[in-house]
Amino acid sequence: MKIKVKIQTESFNIEQETNVLTSGLRNIGSVVTFTGLVRESEHFSADKNPKIISNLVLEHYAGMTEKLIYEMVEEASKRWDINSVSVVHRIGSLKPTDRIVFVGVASSHRLESFRAAEYIVDYLKVHATLWKKVVVNGIDEWVEPKHLDRSKFNKWSD
Amino acid sequence: MTPKNYFKILFFGRLRDFSENIKNEIPVSDEIKCVEDVILYLDTLNPHLGKELRKPFTLVSVNKNLVKTDFPIVGGEEVAFLPPVTGG
Repeated sequence: MKIKVKIQTESFNIEQETNVLTSGLRNIGSVVTFTGLVRESEHFSADKNPKIISNLVLEHYAGMTEKLIYEMVEEASKRWDINSVSVVHRIGSLKPTDRIVFVGVASSHRLESFRAAEYIVDYLKVHATLWKKVVVNGIDEWVEPKHLDRSKFNKWSD
Repeated sequence: MTPKNYFKILFFGRLRDFSENIKNEIPVSDEIKCVEDVILYLDTLNPHLGKELRKPFTLVSVNKNLVKTDFPIVGGEEVAFLPPVTGG
């Protein structure tokens, strides 16, 4: 099992990350990649209308985040027959349209890659020690966790 | 490495907004034997912070392992308080 976990401030190149995912492996039949981007508008709990975001600021618990992501990848590899996983997550100040996260899974057959990629993204949302703050009209506020993310993740244990 | 006679305390996300005047090192004492005692200690310094730390979705880790609040500590550990995460 090949695993890459990287938390970084700089952006990433999807083609390059995809190559890293499969390099040296000769029995890969499918690669599924997910890229998360910064949306420009966001709905906040009390407000009906979406707000326009100027920046998204991400922080994490260095050392802990990487450890938790490794653990979730290990868990995914127990559930599905996968050969390689890369998770690259950015921190720091980002702008709308910027890339935030890359998740890539490679396996012999497509089903495993699709399932494992979705599982890892769902897991990441509710377990990895990363926190987002949005800047709206010059005022920053912490993002509240979405119930939808929690319930989507819980479905994996059904 | 945190000296053995201190606990290193970390706050993340919104919890940091409540902990601005809190030092990140707490000296070892007879009163602090587990994570819950750290929460009690912080609560006496800042009840707003104490309230946040007791919320059911606030997690705590010792040396980067998630633990329950009755987890024993002796000195030198890194204790981190983690509000609900919002990455991805």
